[in-house]
Amino acid sequence: MINDIIAIIQDYWLLLLIGQYPNGPLGGLANTLILSALSIGLAFPFSILLALARLSKWSFLRWPVTVLVYVTRGVPLLMLILWSYFLVPLLTGADVPSFVTMLTTLVVYQAAFLSEVVRAGIVALGHGQMEAAKALGHGYFGAMRFVILPQALYNMIPSILSTFVSTIKDTTLGYVINVPDLTFAASQVNNQLLTQPFQVFLILAVIYYAICWSLTHVAYRLERRITRRRAGLTGVRPTAVIAPVKIVSEQL
Amino acid sequence: MTLPVSPHDARAIRISHVSKQYGDYQVLKNIDAEVTRGEVVVICGPSGSGKSTLIRTINRLEEINSGSISFDGQDIHAPMKTRELNRLRSRIGFVFQSFNLFPHLSVVENVSMSPVRVKGIARDVAHDQALRLLDRVGLADKANAYPGQLSGGQQQRVAIARALAMEPPVMLFDEPTSALDPEMVGEVLAVMKSLAADGMTMLCVTHEMGFARDVADRIWFIDAGQIIEMATPEEFFTNPRHPRAQRFLADLRH
Ligand SMILES: Nc1ncnc2c1ncn2[C@@H]1O[C@H](COP(=O)(O)OP(=O)(O)O)[C@@H](O)[C@H]1O
Ligand SMILES: [Mg+2]
Repeated sequence: MINDIIAIIQDYWLLLLIGQYPNGPLGGLANTLILSALSIGLAFPFSILLALARLSKWSFLRWPVTVLVYVTRGVPLLMLILWSYFLVPLLTGADVPSFVTMLTTLVVYQAAFLSEVVRAGIVALGHGQMEAAKALGHGYFGAMRFVILPQALYNMIPSILSTFVSTIKDTTLGYVINVPDLTFAASQVNNQLLTQPFQVFLILAVIYYAICWSLTHVAYRLERRITRRRAGLTGVRPTAVIAPVKIVSEQL
Repeated sequence: MTLPVSPHDARAIRISHVSKQYGDYQVLKNIDAEVTRGEVVVICGPSGSGKSTLIRTINRLEEINSGSISFDGQDIHAPMKTRELNRLRSRIGFVFQSFNLFPHLSVVENVSMSPVRVKGIARDVAHDQALRLLDRVGLADKANAYPGQLSGGQQQRVAIARALAMEPPVMLFDEPTSALDPEMVGEVLAVMKSLAADGMTMLCVTHEMGFARDVADRIWFIDAGQIIEMATPEEFFTNPRHPRAQRFLADLRH
């Protein structure tokens, strides 16, 4: 058993790491990480825009975004992936690579979740900060950029990391639309060996677990540091800390 | 030939027939008052009478339903570009009861941030100016501390320095000492007194009657959304005309 696993790793480590690259598209673990990093990197700024729209006083901004956020959060991710996979080419007539389909879906999905964290972080600050900024002559965007968001986003760092962890797990669903990621590589290995599915998928599980566990651990450490720092800094608004923390534990 | 846009006027703030309601509830009723340059006005009155609402309409943190408020010859509540409103607001200092310092910035950054971001002043110039202002409020040694590490009285003095950094010709105070422990009230009032002595135009909502007596040029007494008495401290404390003002003073003495 152990010997089987070692043999599989010896034979297929490169495939698991980078897929069929350079003879085919980049895949494997590398692609999983790239896909996760790109989606969180894009979802993060997008989530700020969504949060601001949801807090906007203009209903023509608030309503569509609220619907988007609710629908996205209320539908299984797999459903969203299949929709994008079948509907987008139908609507646009273009042949979209599965990597791009997966990336776009993940960005929308994670941004919808993160936007609620951003929104909670902004609301937790209360009116006083915005009023103080306005009284000093800052406009809305200046107040957001220099006063509100630095505070709200600092509290969000652990949530961003934990969203990153769930994104890594979510990329496995790309398998159903043939995104060449780590799961895809593992199933290729399994198809070649045919007789050792348990060993192959054990390796897969261990790799995911190792990555996600380390990131979760980092998120947890950061969360404690931030809670402590915030307590020392303000000592008055523990709610601003609690809001994101709750969401971290929900997502893990 | 060009004429100056705003004629040099002795009035810093002119409040004309200002009314405001929340739903059916009339918070401000036809307020008519003015503040001349260099004048210190203390606004007092029972809780819920509309003092905060009134002072917040002056920098348009609150909208009004009718009337007008002019500052430097410009109507604050006229329709205008947000840029223009921001520029006007930056010239009206405002000090909140709850300080509202920016907890993620150090004390000196709290003071220098808006001059840099709003007025476009060079960072090092703003930093030096912030240090001078902190010195003026007696907190030069706290420049690199964070607001959370300061006492309430120290935070409020930083908040005053932060407002002064925009070099406003007028300062508004909304109960600046009400959130403080009694032993810290004096240090904040001392800063306000020194500002008044330097000729700053000030409008202060406060229940500190000692401050009103010593520093105010005039007292406005508000009750149920109306200014029912405008008097010098001398007149107000020795001979309040309105029965409600008499009762208010009697209550304060207990
Ligand atoms: N946003 C609001 N909505 C409804 N009523 C308000 C609001 N803000 C203040 N009020 C009411 O207006 C009245 C005056 O409030 P305020 O100006 O804060 O009084 P003061 O500062 O004199 O204690 C109070 O009765 C208060 O309940
Ligand atoms: Mg008040």
